[in-house]
Amino acid sequence: MRTSSPHRANLLGLAFMTPAMVLLLGFFFLPVVLTSVFAFTNMSTATGISGGSYIVTGNLLRSLTDEGLDAKTIEALGQSSYVIDQAGLEKARAAGVDAKFITEIGERLKDRSFTSASAFERELKTLPSRPTRVRDLKIAAGAFEQSVLNVRYASRGEMEAALLHMLENPPQGAIERIATASYTGWTWTTENFKNLLVAPDTWRIVGNTVFYVVLTLAFNVLVGLFLAITTFYLPSAGSSFFSVLWLLPRITPVVLYAVMWKWFTWEDGFVFNIAQDLGLPAFNYMKGSVASAWTVVILVNGFVGASFGMILFSGALKAIPVQQLWASDVDGASRWQQIRYIILPHMRWPILFVTSYQTLSLLSSYEQIWLTTNGGPGSTTTVWALEAFKTALNNYTGNLQYGLGAAMALILVAVGLVLSIVYLRLFRFDEMMSKPKIEF
Amino acid sequence: MTVLPRFTSAVLATVLLASTATFAMAKDVTISVWAGGTGPTNDYRIEAIKMAVDVVSRQAKISGEDLTIKIESQTWTGWDDFKQAVTLAAESGKAPNIIVSGHEDIGPWSQSGLLRPIEDYVDFDAWPLNQLYPNLIDVSSYDGRIWGIPQDAEARPFFFSKSHLKAIGYSDADIEALPAKVESGEYTLYSMLDDAKKMQDAKVVEPGKGFMPRPNNGTDYWQFYQSFGGEMVDAESGKLVLDRQALTGMYQFFVDAVEKGVVPATYLGTTWDTWHQAVAGDKAGIWHGGTWHKAEWEAKWGLKDFFGQMQYSLIPAGNEKGRANTITHPLVYLLSTGGSDEDATLAAELITTASEPYINALHAVKSGHLAIGSAEATIPFYANDRWTTVATEGLLPKANAIPNNSDFGIVWKAMYKGLEASWTRTNSVADAVKAVETEVRNALGDKIVIR
Repeated sequence: MRTSSPHRANLLGLAFMTPAMVLLLGFFFLPVVLTSVFAFTNMSTATGISGGSYIVTGNLLRSLTDEGLDAKTIEALGQSSYVIDQAGLEKARAAGVDAKFITEIGERLKDRSFTSASAFERELKTLPSRPTRVRDLKIAAGAFEQSVLNVRYASRGEMEAALLHMLENPPQGAIERIATASYTGWTWTTENFKNLLVAPDTWRIVGNTVFYVVLTLAFNVLVGLFLAITTFYLPSAGSSFFSVLWLLPRITPVVLYAVMWKWFTWEDGFVFNIAQDLGLPAFNYMKGSVASAWTVVILVNGFVGASFGMILFSGALKAIPVQQLWASDVDGASRWQQIRYIILPHMRWPILFVTSYQTLSLLSSYEQIWLTTNGGPGSTTTVWALEAFKTALNNYTGNLQYGLGAAMALILVAVGLVLSIVYLRLFRFDEMMSKPKIEF
Repeated sequence: MTVLPRFTSAVLATVLLASTATFAMAKDVTISVWAGGTGPTNDYRIEAIKMAVDVVSRQAKISGEDLTIKIESQTWTGWDDFKQAVTLAAESGKAPNIIVSGHEDIGPWSQSGLLRPIEDYVDFDAWPLNQLYPNLIDVSSYDGRIWGIPQDAEARPFFFSKSHLKAIGYSDADIEALPAKVESGEYTLYSMLDDAKKMQDAKVVEPGKGFMPRPNNGTDYWQFYQSFGGEMVDAESGKLVLDRQALTGMYQFFVDAVEKGVVPATYLGTTWDTWHQAVAGDKAGIWHGGTWHKAEWEAKWGLKDFFGQMQYSLIPAGNEKGRANTITHPLVYLLSTGGSDEDATLAAELITTASEPYINALHAVKSGHLAIGSAEATIPFYANDRWTTVATEGLLPKANAIPNNSDFGIVWKAMYKGLEASWTRTNSVADAVKAVETEVRNALGDKIVIR
């Protein structure tokens, strides 16, 4: 008799689990953690993701004035001048400006000052050794600029140092206040959630999402179950053919599948022509009415889900001991009685799985809607996941609100987790997973 | 004995040094250009840069520089994917050197450090930039700095089918007088709805095709906001403005259009192809678009006689508080912070050369856009083109632009969402306006003035 060390068995188990753990970490926990971080920021296109810098601009001066910063400080911050002094000449040398040109600037313009860049540049253009390239002239001019206005500082320290240099006797706390206001990057906030809570649009999208998930889920499970049972009773050749046929929506690439639906439902498409021939209203069924748009959205997603349900249910059906069905045949049971009293009780686990998996999958799915109705007509078929995607990553104005979009996604994750727990309890998952009471 | 090897070594060293000097002088630079909203009729957005490469390379050669410039270009027909690509590429440090986008992107992109101010790289006192229209330079500026060079300009007119106007009793003289009536405010958006309804009743256009607005989001919808007296920016404080009354008027107008049956409640989201087919094929009564659409209708949709088939005007006023108007939405050449300063300098040179009137006129005439500078407007190739001339003289002077403000996108998104909700009757007009107000107030606080 061979015994193995429990320690080694544990290690082996861990080794087997490792790939799954890595995948779980990389594709679930990490995205969730990052989404959680983003959700509590005001990150957007304007703030950038990787961090901001510090810059005093005209608009900032205006808002600081509105907030009551004293006029003298504002005036000093807004000043921009070009002074030709030794420090400027040194700076120009360090910036790589041509030595001859620097000498001419020193000789001809020393101690002069200019109030605008264009006036100074015009003067520089009169010097014999002026550079041919505009950029070189601008670099030379920039070396003599004495201003904090529109200068981008990488760190708060640099900005504060520049402010201290520019402002004589600044009021108490002014430097810190200006430096804070001049930051262009993102900051931590809980506003995203507050805004979502009070936005009237939120509840409309929640309503749309519930409507979409419930109806599509019902379609998925019921049609999947119907297909599995009917193909189960068909002769095997016929059942294989139908199974493959119903798999097409799932195995067809999403974009192609969406294009096929467009051919099917758009103006001059299949449904359009049939409706016209029958004297029924013929229009773009995908986008032409709210009811038909919802029908298309539910069917597009429903067929994909139904084929998934069919595969799982078919597999489960094959696991039912066939003797039970023969016995019921002997007892004279009808097909319906077989389904009601033998098949369905055996299907509890697959139904649980399909229902819970599809609920979570539908909650987070938006690709098919995006590619077909794009949430329209208007925004009548816009669901939560699509809105989150558009908010964070894809919209016409190009204003990507990563923070707000992430908050929406995080809510989706939370709803998904809650629903998972509810499903587990409702279907008594722990009982199904417990060790069999009979020893094999 | 030692002389020869020393001599040989010296010669060898000289040759080697000389060869490295040659290598050092030979310069291969790749400049990437990405353009949004660019289709077959707008290809000179990129082609102009390629033409500039030829000029700049010849200049370099004459100056004794061995410079080879390669252009890597990418275009997008729409805006959503393009802006997403630019933003995410920039975040991952892979932004193209030159970006061709709408001027309204300057606000957020400059704040996030995605752009270099182009005024640091070019000379606006020198040719050809010294002849650019000052209002277009303003449109390319933000927060006191010039960030881009205007690439084109346009106006967004209203169009009327002449044959359908005649069918409801308009004479040739009436049709000729229509633009003036629109401009004076005598002919309003509601007069237009009446005419669209008459066209449908006369069965010259199908129901729901009397009025065919832009089928999706666009600058155009701000024109209707202005038609009802809306302003986008407070002139005094420079802050963004949301005018509830104007927004209500605008939303109500589209609801009324639906109730009159001249446009369907589910219209938004109609495909561009459907729209082009109807308007170019004289199946629609009245619609609005852009000056550039003429080129597309002629190139792709079989329009033969633009001036014989269509009348154009400003967007009519909606009520006595509003005005007839049109919006110009110039695209601009922008310099990204990607690449080295040396690359950006070269990219700026290419943009400057591409703005040469003869080169830009190719884009303007081919795509139905308008001149970016006074000299361009006098080039015979441009000046003798009837449409560009009438649009430059009749529409462009009355055009204004949407603001360059890093927060404008939030207001725009909310405005369009409200329009969709009221148009499809998902929300009442009052609720839609309230939702927009709530959204922008929460997002922007006192950065927006709500009237």
